[in-house]
Amino acid sequence: MEEQEIFGLLGPNGAGKTTLIMVLTTLLKPTGGSAYLNGYNVAKCTNQVRMNLGYVSQDLAIDDELTGLDNLWLQAGLYHMDRSIRKKRTDEVLELVGLRDRAADRVDTYSGGMRKRLDIACGLIHRPGILFLDEPTLGLDIQTRHEIWHYINRLREEVKMTILLTTHYMDEADTLCKRIAIIDRGEMKAIDTPARLKQELGGGVIIFQFTDAAEPGVPEKALEALRGQDFVREISKNDGDFYLLTNESEEALPKFFTVLEGFPLRLKKVTMKMPTLDDVFLFHTGEQLREGTISREAIARSRSSMQRLRGQR
Amino acid sequence: MDLRSGLRGTYFVFWREMKRFTNQRLRIMMSVVQPVVWLVLMGNMMTRLTDNPFTAEVLGVDNYLVFMVPGVMIMTSLFAGVYGGISIIWDRRLGFLVKLLSAPIPRYSIALGKMSALILQTMFQVSIIAVLGGLMGVRFVTGVGGIMAALLFCGLFSAIMSSISLFLSASVKTPETLFAIINFLTMPLVFTSNALFPTGAMPSWIQLISRFNPITYAVAPVRTLAVSGWDMEMILSGAGILLIMFLVLQGVVYFRFERGSLL
Repeated sequence: MEEQEIFGLLGPNGAGKTTLIMVLTTLLKPTGGSAYLNGYNVAKCTNQVRMNLGYVSQDLAIDDELTGLDNLWLQAGLYHMDRSIRKKRTDEVLELVGLRDRAADRVDTYSGGMRKRLDIACGLIHRPGILFLDEPTLGLDIQTRHEIWHYINRLREEVKMTILLTTHYMDEADTLCKRIAIIDRGEMKAIDTPARLKQELGGGVIIFQFTDAAEPGVPEKALEALRGQDFVREISKNDGDFYLLTNESEEALPKFFTVLEGFPLRLKKVTMKMPTLDDVFLFHTGEQLREGTISREAIARSRSSMQRLRGQR
Repeated sequence: MDLRSGLRGTYFVFWREMKRFTNQRLRIMMSVVQPVVWLVLMGNMMTRLTDNPFTAEVLGVDNYLVFMVPGVMIMTSLFAGVYGGISIIWDRRLGFLVKLLSAPIPRYSIALGKMSALILQTMFQVSIIAVLGGLMGVRFVTGVGGIMAALLFCGLFSAIMSSISLFLSASVKTPETLFAIINFLTMPLVFTSNALFPTGAMPSWIQLISRFNPITYAVAPVRTLAVSGWDMEMILSGAGILLIMFLVLQGVVYFRFERGSLL
């Protein structure tokens, strides 16, 4: 991973994401191989690794019976901060996640989004070199997801935090992550920027139709000119629509219009479809459904955190 | 992991438990009401016992309440401690345990912090019993010093019981299972002990069991402090046995928390 980037870790259930995070957070000893975090071996320098790492698990790891301030105070204490620094950092992260006004209230009066923001603030308070966000918007509604995204982006912009993010939502990975890795069955399948991963699948498709007003022969000439362009792979006709396959992404559309400007004809309609990250994900991991190997305790835990994210006690 | 991070971890886990305790007004109220019910109900029910000179002699007191207050003190310590481990189960379920486990503190300090909070809560409850007993005419013959010593015994006993509870909760995943195990263990322990009834009046086979019952070793010195006075032999032998139990259990809990999986 590079510094100051948001790195997405994607993979179907059972791919090894959770195991990887458990090893990196020192909750699980590796069975073989070695992992380094900020230069520290995770199996040996446990304490240094923990001090350098912020972990926001997919369950809400905050105490609902305490106030927001108490939760942060506790976290700062567990990470060996002295009283004066504790006070300063607590104020800092409260500001960062926009919870200053509610800090003195008990967490069980918070909304789901506020709870998650407090959870993230707890992961930040010791200024870790790297922050693990494990499915940060799991179980949240669209408004709250956007709210959380806003704060995650703020971390990248204002604090220049290096973030490792896992998620099952491809739009989330696409919006937030600079680079993503897709893993399956413990193997790395792909690693690159979302844009390039989509490009690898081939670029987009431009679907268009000309108006009937054009003089005979002109549309054919225009298609011929398009076929001669570098960005065009193939044009086919289907049900009155032309399908232009391109090996580029967003840059293809302006080029397409520039070529057509030279011809006396009008477009009746035009749309462009891009391969989505969903397509990329399915391409690398296959369509097969996965068996979950989740423990009963983990199910109980995620059920309780869902309820708390919906703002219930 | 060094001693400093161990102490810090212990302190902040303790701090959280105490914050939660003081936030739960109903829990504090119940911890006061429960011994009141014990003393008023059981105490009054049994007072007629001492009208009979024979039972008065077996009990060694003129007033059953005097016999009973030390027993209730230790039983309160027992229950405060033995149900205390449940917080591990709730923390695990709420995902909070993961946070504690991935923090730069030794895992044993999680157990120590929770145990310290339970000890303090126990001593708070026992002080209330001492005050209530005082109001109902029960005086420790050893005075305030004796009550202080009794408080220490109660704290130590609560530490023993919470260690057992924390050890169980490290493996048991549901509160129901934990309660089942604890009830299975504590009910026979209470009734084969000298907490509510003198062992001298029990059949000999129960007397034998009672000799291996930790409750007996906690109640005896406290009752001595209340009824007879500073009988150092009794007090020190009780303290010695409890301390050994405590230390052995710390070893067990240490290895369970540091070496085993808690998730």
